[in-house]
Amino acid sequence: MNAFEWADACSIQDVFAVNVKGSAIKAGGVDLVDLMKEGIANPARVINIRNIAGLNQINMDAGVAKIGPLATLSALAEHAGLKQTYTALAQAAAAAATPQIRNMATVGGNLLQRPRCWYFRNDQFACARKGGDLCYAQRGENQYHAIFQNGLCAIVHPSAAATPLVAMNATIELTGPKGKREMPLEEFFVMPNVNLHAENKLEPDEILTEIRIPALQAGTRSHYVKQAEMESHDWPIAEAVAVLQMDDKICKKASIVLGAAAPTPRRATEVETAITGKEITAELARSAAKAALRRATPMTQNRYKLAMFEAVISRAIMRAAAI
Amino acid sequence: MSNRSRESGLSRRGFLKGAGVTAAGAAIAEAGFASFAQAQQTSQNVNIISGTTTITLQVNGAAKTVQVEPRTTLAEALRVNLDMTGTKIVCDRGACGGCTVHIDGQPVDSCMTLAIDVVGRQIKTIEGLAQGDVLHPVQAQFIEHDAMQCGFCTSGMVMSSAALLEHNKNPSLEEIKHACSGNLCRCGTYPHVFAAVQAAAKQM
Amino acid sequence: MAAETETPKYALGIPGVNLEEVQRNVPENEPPPLAINEKLHTIGKSVPRLDGRAKVTGAARYTADINLPGMLYGKLVSSTETAAKIKSIDTSEAEKIPGVKAVYLIERNMAGAGANASADDRFPLVRYCGQPIAAVAATTPEIARQAAKAIKVEYDPRPWVTDIEEARKDDAPQVISAGSAPPARGNVQQRGNVRGPQRGGGASQEAIDKALAESDAVVEAEYHTQVQTHSVLETHGYVADFKPDQLTIYASTQSTQSVRDEMASYFNLQRNKVRVITEFMGGGFGSKLSAGIWASIAGRLSQKAGAPVKLMCDRKEEQQSAGNRPSSNQKIRLGAKKDGSLTAFHLVNYGTAGAATGAGVGGATGMYPIPLALTESSDVMTNAGPQAAFRAPGFPQGIFAFEQAVDELAEKLNIDPLEFREKIDVAPPAGSRGTTAWQVRKEERRVGAEKIGWKNRKAPNSDTGPIKRGVGMAQGTWNRNSNGSGTCEVRINRDGSVEALSAVQDIGSGIRTVMAMVVAEELGIQPADVQVRVGDTNFPPGVSSGGSVTTNSMTPPTRKAAYQAKQELLKQVAPVFGVQPSDLAMNDGKIFVQADPTKSLTLRQAATKMQGEHISAQASRGNTDYATGPGMGGVQFAQVAVDTETGQIKVERIVAAQDCGRPMNPLTLRNQINGGVIQGLSYALLEDRILDRQTGYMVNPNFEQYKIAGASEMPQIDVIVVEQYCARSSTDAAGIGEPATVPTSSAIANAVYNAIGVRIRTIPMTPKVVLEALAARKSNA
Repeated sequence: MNAFEWADACSIQDVFAVNVKGSAIKAGGVDLVDLMKEGIANPARVINIRNIAGLNQINMDAGVAKIGPLATLSALAEHAGLKQTYTALAQAAAAAATPQIRNMATVGGNLLQRPRCWYFRNDQFACARKGGDLCYAQRGENQYHAIFQNGLCAIVHPSAAATPLVAMNATIELTGPKGKREMPLEEFFVMPNVNLHAENKLEPDEILTEIRIPALQAGTRSHYVKQAEMESHDWPIAEAVAVLQMDDKICKKASIVLGAAAPTPRRATEVETAITGKEITAELARSAAKAALRRATPMTQNRYKLAMFEAVISRAIMRAAAI
Repeated sequence: MSNRSRESGLSRRGFLKGAGVTAAGAAIAEAGFASFAQAQQTSQNVNIISGTTTITLQVNGAAKTVQVEPRTTLAEALRVNLDMTGTKIVCDRGACGGCTVHIDGQPVDSCMTLAIDVVGRQIKTIEGLAQGDVLHPVQAQFIEHDAMQCGFCTSGMVMSSAALLEHNKNPSLEEIKHACSGNLCRCGTYPHVFAAVQAAAKQM
Repeated sequence: MAAETETPKYALGIPGVNLEEVQRNVPENEPPPLAINEKLHTIGKSVPRLDGRAKVTGAARYTADINLPGMLYGKLVSSTETAAKIKSIDTSEAEKIPGVKAVYLIERNMAGAGANASADDRFPLVRYCGQPIAAVAATTPEIARQAAKAIKVEYDPRPWVTDIEEARKDDAPQVISAGSAPPARGNVQQRGNVRGPQRGGGASQEAIDKALAESDAVVEAEYHTQVQTHSVLETHGYVADFKPDQLTIYASTQSTQSVRDEMASYFNLQRNKVRVITEFMGGGFGSKLSAGIWASIAGRLSQKAGAPVKLMCDRKEEQQSAGNRPSSNQKIRLGAKKDGSLTAFHLVNYGTAGAATGAGVGGATGMYPIPLALTESSDVMTNAGPQAAFRAPGFPQGIFAFEQAVDELAEKLNIDPLEFREKIDVAPPAGSRGTTAWQVRKEERRVGAEKIGWKNRKAPNSDTGPIKRGVGMAQGTWNRNSNGSGTCEVRINRDGSVEALSAVQDIGSGIRTVMAMVVAEELGIQPADVQVRVGDTNFPPGVSSGGSVTTNSMTPPTRKAAYQAKQELLKQVAPVFGVQPSDLAMNDGKIFVQADPTKSLTLRQAATKMQGEHISAQASRGNTDYATGPGMGGVQFAQVAVDTETGQIKVERIVAAQDCGRPMNPLTLRNQINGGVIQGLSYALLEDRILDRQTGYMVNPNFEQYKIAGASEMPQIDVIVVEQYCARSSTDAAGIGEPATVPTSSAIANAVYNAIGVRIRTIPMTPKVVLEALAARKSNA
């Protein structure tokens, strides 16, 4: 780790006051400390926002969920209201990382963390995302990499929380010195062809200040499925979230998002189209899942992820539909 | 700089009291936001620390003054500065739980925690788990069930298990596995760990 | 007490099965035969380990925990190239950093790293990414890391090869030239990167071809096993304190003596000037049997800085350079007759041990009597981290392939796999070499099959849903190794306290506690009454903890020393009772007259009668066993659930029936068996050192992407210990660390086949491997 200055912010205004060029914002610190230890991030100054009061709230008044970015993954996983209403979010938080990390990591940090690609995380590889010429995954060890939109840079988005939040049409509030802006989380994340060096639209002088999930319509249920190589600490190889508004066995409305599939959380519109207005059956779920994978562009070593995603998507649908 | 840092430590304690309550529900949230507004008004200047600095950590109920850099992790402050070597550094990236300590009662990885970030918080390490000579039930049952071989994961495994039993007095086998899923043991002592935690639960 | 004779009678066999007595010729002054465990008061009973409290309270000090006054922190500089000549190393920036006290560049020819550099090369050739090049020592760990980064190494990159198939080609870049590779056993040739084949089994290929042609069933298949890193939790490391009159080294080692001897030689010191201390050790599994390059670096840094230096590998260095289990590609041909008798076995193996040799596989030819066998094993050197001994070196690889081939053969013959082993796991032909481990495996098959419910096992691919369950089994074998240099001193002090001392180190297997139990058994006291001091070369010689030798090597001399100390005490105390020493016995903390137990003194009272301050006896094991003969067995059964849609294998249950002669401490013994099973499970399903094919860099040198089974992967493990007496030494104990990990991966693979009806001949059996195998069946169908 390089030596750095430490600035303890007690308010959002504090952050703006000290956020000079070369600063890094630290919430739970898990991702930043990891990047610094690997020599990937070498900030001159670390601005600690973890102690800014009020930013760790989870508020579910009036049907809308408002989640402070400093709420920990543990807090999300254990929150009774989230578990009941926004089930897939609580499930995703509970399945991420380890108990210790979930106690440290914040949901904001989870959304903003850098990719876990082993080429990106290793300072020996000057990969395209770090400003080099090459995406090493293209012809290298790509068994865990993206199966969609992977031609420039084959990272998968690392956030467990992002997959359900996008599926639930969450918006985020970003605050900068000049004020606040709000945008759908889905639009916040960017593909490598838009920006090869960042995973989202956060400006250097902004911080994430709130996550809002709109009220879900009556009869809406959600489910999160994670498939990894092991159940103890492991990153997903395939993730799917299904948010379904059900009328008995008929799906009135569907939102299906895939994680660990593409450089951003990937909305599976083919699945949504295929199951909306239909009675959910195992066969339908399976054929819809297949449809979602038609445009996949698997790499040299990750074709197996297609079969895995087929299972993960159809299981998420079946479980959300409670069939 | 120590005065200023102690001050920020104190004010943080105040914040933490609030935070402990807010997790309970929405009604308290406004109180949280109120303090947020207050904080905005009071922090005109942000203390910026660089180089070696003196901080005070609350470790196992005692105030410990250490000289660290901002980049010093809690694990290294404990092991190097305080010679409290029960906390182990194993993967050094939060993947194995060998460095598990409790911060305000929650198990966390001290290798991914900066020491300067936990000023004013209650830090409990493996050295502080027993009450004097009386072992914590988890410790006693780890011995009884031989839930260790080389012992290098044991501190972290004990800390995770003890944290589980703090809020779950009668955990199922699956819950024990889940609680220990961030603690890697290379010798393969897990079956004995599970048995020890189940036995300890009966004594809690 | 039975009168001692020159050929006393010893227990032989398995209680309840075939227990008998046998006469053995034993050396002079041996303790009398020990009764079977059920008649003993301490040995064979579960005793919590005596250092447990130190471990659960964090008080135990490992090498990584040693903090000495004025101690500096070392940090390595490792190669970032896969193969290169080092042109220059610039340390000037590093040396300017305040707090940096020493910089050390690794000299040519050290630890084999520079073996074929030309004479004017200043630095060793780089043969793999992660190879240590230099090191620094500084006042804090942060400064040491910063200084290591500031050292600039200029490389002249050279061609490299990491893929084993590429490395076998004649035009592949040469990893280590024939002249400078470590010497091979026997008359083994090297061509390019291929050293071998090393041949075993003795049969000719022609004879095998003929026998296979005449067989009723032949399995011909290829099996692949990956490179597995030891992934010890306490990394390799040392604290060296170089003083003019004494070099003290705190070592994370499995062999205090090896480190002492290697460092004495390296620094040109007499052995009495080097002291090595290993109070606690955080995992080795074979990778810490020698000092490696690290002890010498720590010593040099300490010498240069004039202060103690702690040098621990970081996790990345550990995973890249501190050892691994070599890979294997095994082509097997195995034949049998309709009646189930084996005809011939041929193995051709190519494995890579990285920039080293030692990729042979074992186990197959040692288990069943096969009329004709030929094994041909070759090392393929690659630009990757070198291997180190790893828990039963070669055997998990060999058995993974062979015991699957045996199952495949059983299927071809339409014989149940368990029944097939009954037919082939039999006594070797009279007059031939071979072990009697078949006897204990027969019992292990019986109890294990009953426990797992083998009779309810279904035909392959019987389940209809996406989750398919299966049951499989595999057998193992291992040598009953010992090391005669194991020495122990037992002292009975004037206050009645008792000590046992040896340089042997407790690496977590619990030898400290077992030695206390042996002394306690002999002196009729409690294990907690015995202070065992180990892990210090100031004590009498111990043994290296490798080859599962420790229990076998240390318990006989410990018992002998305790016995001799006891004889001396009884001799000195006998006059007090007015009897002969042989009329006295010790039990329950007392010395008493056997004919009239009311005449007694407590040990404490009796000790005050001794002449002098203590009675001390020292004994060595010696190289002679009472008899040669049995190897060790081990039969494991696995039940798995395979999710055929996601490819994930869940091991639900393992039944491990194992033997290790006389079980000493069932509590720690079961823990060891669990550990062997769990490492085998992790090897079968998860672990894989992955090198980037474009650069040769390891992409998973961490615990995030190098995957090791954790709490959630744990199956139910039923350990069955089959107590077997072999009349081999005064304790008749053997080790268990290695045999318990030998059959696991094969048992799981056989269970997977039973579940899904597709044979997976590659580990780790990740979801990728399973899904690809299922897809291949689909496209073949």
